[in-house]
Amino acid sequence: MPSSDPLPPKEAALFRKLLKCYEMKQYKNGLKLAKQILSNPKFTEHGETLAMKGLTLNGLGRREEAYKYVRMGLRNDLRSHVCWHVYGLLQRSDKKYDEAIKCYRNALKWEKDNLQILKDLSLLQIQMRDLEGYKETRHHLFTLRPSQHASWTGFAMSYHLLGEHMMANNILETFSQSQTSIEAHDYRQSELLLYQNQILIEAHQLQQALDHLLKFEPQIVDKLAVRETLGDLYIKLKQEDKAVPIYESLIQRNPENVLYYKQYMMARRVSSPSDIVAVYREFQQQYPRALCPRRLPLDIASGEEFRVVADEYLRRGLRKGIPPLFVNVRSLHQQPEKANIIESLTLQYFENLTRSGHFSREDADAGMPVEPASALVWTALFLAQHYDYMRDTNRALEYINVAIDHTPTLIELLITKGRIFKHAGDAVEAYVWLEEAQSMDTADRYINSKCAKYMLRANMITEAEEICAKFTREGVSAMDNLNEMQCMWFQTECALAFQRMGRWGEALKKCHEVDRHFAEIIEDQFDFHTYCMRKMTLRAYVGLLRLEDVLRRHPFYFKAAKCGIEVYMRLYDKPLKSETTIEEIDIENLPPSELKKLRSKQRKAKKKAELESAQAAQAQVKREQHQKSKQQANQETDPDAPQLDELIPEKLERTDEPLEKAIEFLKPLQQFAKERIETHLLAFEVYYRKNKLLLMLQSILRARAVDPEHPVLHSCIIRFMKALANAKKLEPFNEHVQQVLDKATKELIGTKTPQQLNDEFIAKHHATSILHLYEGARGLYELDPSKKQKAIKLITSFNLSKMRLEEAVQVYTALRDGDIFGECEKEADEYKLLCQQRFQYARIFRNIEELEAQLQEKEAAKLRAEEEQQQLNHLDTNEMSVASTPASIAAAS
Amino acid sequence: MNIRCAKPDDLMTMQHCNLLCLPENYQMKYYFYHGLTWPQLSYVAEDDKGNIVGYVLAKMEEPEPGEESKHGHITSLAVKRSYRRLGLAQKLMNQASQAMVECFNAQYVSLHVRKSNRAALNLYTNSLKFKIIEVEPKYYADGEDAYAMRRDLRELAEDDGKPKSKDGGDEVSAHDHSKHLHRGAHNHSGHDGHCC
Repeated sequence: MPSSDPLPPKEAALFRKLLKCYEMKQYKNGLKLAKQILSNPKFTEHGETLAMKGLTLNGLGRREEAYKYVRMGLRNDLRSHVCWHVYGLLQRSDKKYDEAIKCYRNALKWEKDNLQILKDLSLLQIQMRDLEGYKETRHHLFTLRPSQHASWTGFAMSYHLLGEHMMANNILETFSQSQTSIEAHDYRQSELLLYQNQILIEAHQLQQALDHLLKFEPQIVDKLAVRETLGDLYIKLKQEDKAVPIYESLIQRNPENVLYYKQYMMARRVSSPSDIVAVYREFQQQYPRALCPRRLPLDIASGEEFRVVADEYLRRGLRKGIPPLFVNVRSLHQQPEKANIIESLTLQYFENLTRSGHFSREDADAGMPVEPASALVWTALFLAQHYDYMRDTNRALEYINVAIDHTPTLIELLITKGRIFKHAGDAVEAYVWLEEAQSMDTADRYINSKCAKYMLRANMITEAEEICAKFTREGVSAMDNLNEMQCMWFQTECALAFQRMGRWGEALKKCHEVDRHFAEIIEDQFDFHTYCMRKMTLRAYVGLLRLEDVLRRHPFYFKAAKCGIEVYMRLYDKPLKSETTIEEIDIENLPPSELKKLRSKQRKAKKKAELESAQAAQAQVKREQHQKSKQQANQETDPDAPQLDELIPEKLERTDEPLEKAIEFLKPLQQFAKERIETHLLAFEVYYRKNKLLLMLQSILRARAVDPEHPVLHSCIIRFMKALANAKKLEPFNEHVQQVLDKATKELIGTKTPQQLNDEFIAKHHATSILHLYEGARGLYELDPSKKQKAIKLITSFNLSKMRLEEAVQVYTALRDGDIFGECEKEADEYKLLCQQRFQYARIFRNIEELEAQLQEKEAAKLRAEEEQQQLNHLDTNEMSVASTPASIAAAS
Repeated sequence: MNIRCAKPDDLMTMQHCNLLCLPENYQMKYYFYHGLTWPQLSYVAEDDKGNIVGYVLAKMEEPEPGEESKHGHITSLAVKRSYRRLGLAQKLMNQASQAMVECFNAQYVSLHVRKSNRAALNLYTNSLKFKIIEVEPKYYADGEDAYAMRRDLRELAEDDGKPKSKDGGDEVSAHDHSKHLHRGAHNHSGHDGHCC
């Protein structure tokens, strides 16, 4: 590496040592060496040494100084590839990948064949998905080092990722021909062959892929991949006969793989439902312990045949007492015919088990042995779950109570009872049952997690955190530990609870934490770029790249982002009062007594504020200390990680640009969750607030492409038309914009006025769909506020017995909050009473006084029970008897 | 129920399942490390909607002193409580073990289990023919001891892909939580190329 500003031999030797120290992470020694060079008056300005000093400082976590010295060094020696490379490394460690790429490119200007710089550049290019750049760099590396394996695979991969499959295949083919000796059981070779095969398949060269696989089969150690691929290729190439034995062997290897059975049926050309069921029966004989051959016929069969297979399946499960029996047939409930058969079968079991201990009268008449006593409990549980699914709360509770009376210690029953209440709209009663279940098996984290989730649904955040703390690391707060472990379900449920309680800043903090997990997971892939090339696990690596490309498509991100967007919009609609604004009251017109009261109130408020600010200051100090110690801890493990701003709820909820923040959450949804209509409806809401007509229109069109019948779409169109009319009044549009808008509106509503459109919409959905009617009523009020009463009447008179709980909640909260139809307290109260009769368990429709009285009664009952228990214990110890409490039974079972 | 080899797409859901079920948790990168080093060894069980309800996360370990070849190791195994008693844990373990033998010539598979976890111990000893090798004192972060267990896999190598199955009865969970694992889980953030 010739330097543009070479040092004399003694200093050059020191500089080489300095490089070595950096590589070995001996930063302190490195600094000493740098000092030695720089203290020579001739070299105080030496660029490369200054730059290396900076990089070494970065290793010690002294980021600001690092930037200072690296920049100083670069300024002194702009033609040095070392200085540019160092600047690139620094930016890379700061995760400024785009900047780092520029630096590497500059470094290569002065040293175009530097291997290290080229390799580093290629990593950044693949991380940033600069696929063209990656290909060029890999090509360059390939020409420089054609003898290295990684040169070939990296070069091939760069074409594969660009979709140039045949080029990628040619490179790998040439490479494999140059390979002379292959060791037996060479995992890396095996992976490389399978990677090449995957490329051929993706290129739709199926025959070539088949030939390739057959030729190299002996060298491939991943036998499962070979057989799965062969089977699939034979089917696609219409050589089904050859696929049959392959799938037979795959099923033998793993009789629980649904795909194998589907492919097997295809290979044997079995297509009529009865024939498929018959084949499954053969497999039942062959693999008596396998679940699939018993469960899959239920998807295929219908009518009487379904009754027969369902009967067998259910009896077996109830006899053995398999808790997941219901969840395993839940998906069948989407077909009403099957749901009815399942219901009538299990009702019949319940009746006969109660009467004679048999599943059916026929069994009893034939003198069959009775079923185990537990079958009745499992049947009652099944029925409870079934009716819960049907949202028939009363019957669900009826059956679950029978089961609990029979076996009070079976935890699954308590969980189910909690779930029934959750679905019926009583989050508090639901959590009480989960807490009870949790207390019966405190060693099981699953039930602990469920309990925490139910607490969060009841807005009990502190309690949920306490429960979770039973399984998080000691010495760290549960919140912090769960954040560190990327426990997104918990954080998202917290965010939603905070949102429900109007604690906006805290909700936002949780949403941002989830977003940061996604950023971190994207960052995680960096190390695997080199690692996988070395390990040759290229199929998995390509899978990782493809996953990371769309990572924020994940439902966890959607949920958190949606919450974040909603909260930011809420903060835009009703900004928080600035903390410094003090209520200004007209003191002069107050009577003396009132004035006195006011003064005393103000004094108290002042005192309280002082106290609070002192506490806040203390908390701030604590936080800073905590942050500092955390930073130090981080530096020990990872000096490279840049520090992220701390998420402070008070700051988050007082942002000056809530809509911009909302858009940050929205963008990934628009990119990755296009298929979900909610994405575009949320986008509309944001752009409506920003009054961006074209973007509103875009959102409407995208939403319509997903589901033209979606109820909310209608109100978006109405509001868009209104916004459009308002905008026109203010100033004329630019010609092109006008054209786009005209064309689109014509397409959307033709020549109708918004009023006409809305009236037609209401008429169409008047009696059939409350959600559509709701949007129609909303449009009615929106277009003409004098029609408020009519709009409210429309939705409140809809037949409640045809409505689901969520729908009633939506209508009621709109009335209660007064933000859709203006103030309408009286109507809201009346509607609440109606809902109370229809949904008797739902907490939202009940009176607070009634609920509080109930709670007090419960507390009192608990106290009484405790007192009685104490008296009993007293008696017991006197009589030297041992009482077993339910808890001890549970622990023993 | 569907049991299949885990793909990179499954790793996040496996982490979710792990966080719901077990006290020993790992950051996403540690799952990537498993999935990208030994892609054949981890398996998932999914319900008919494709939700992951159980998984086994497995890897290979370098030979112990005096041994010639590598052996498999179960890092984590869990089945959601609502899907227990279907024999899923046992089925997942058998698939992973088979792959260890075929792809990596594993002679045996090892794991750690909490001394207090009777149900898991029962599964491993009775249904899966694991044997207790030793007790590792204070293996877990909370101070609990672990049994180090092993299952000989040579029989799998001989009969080529026919896992002997017996009904597992109660389902349980096993997992690894040694300090070195935790270090592993946190130590992947450098960009020095020596990942993992």
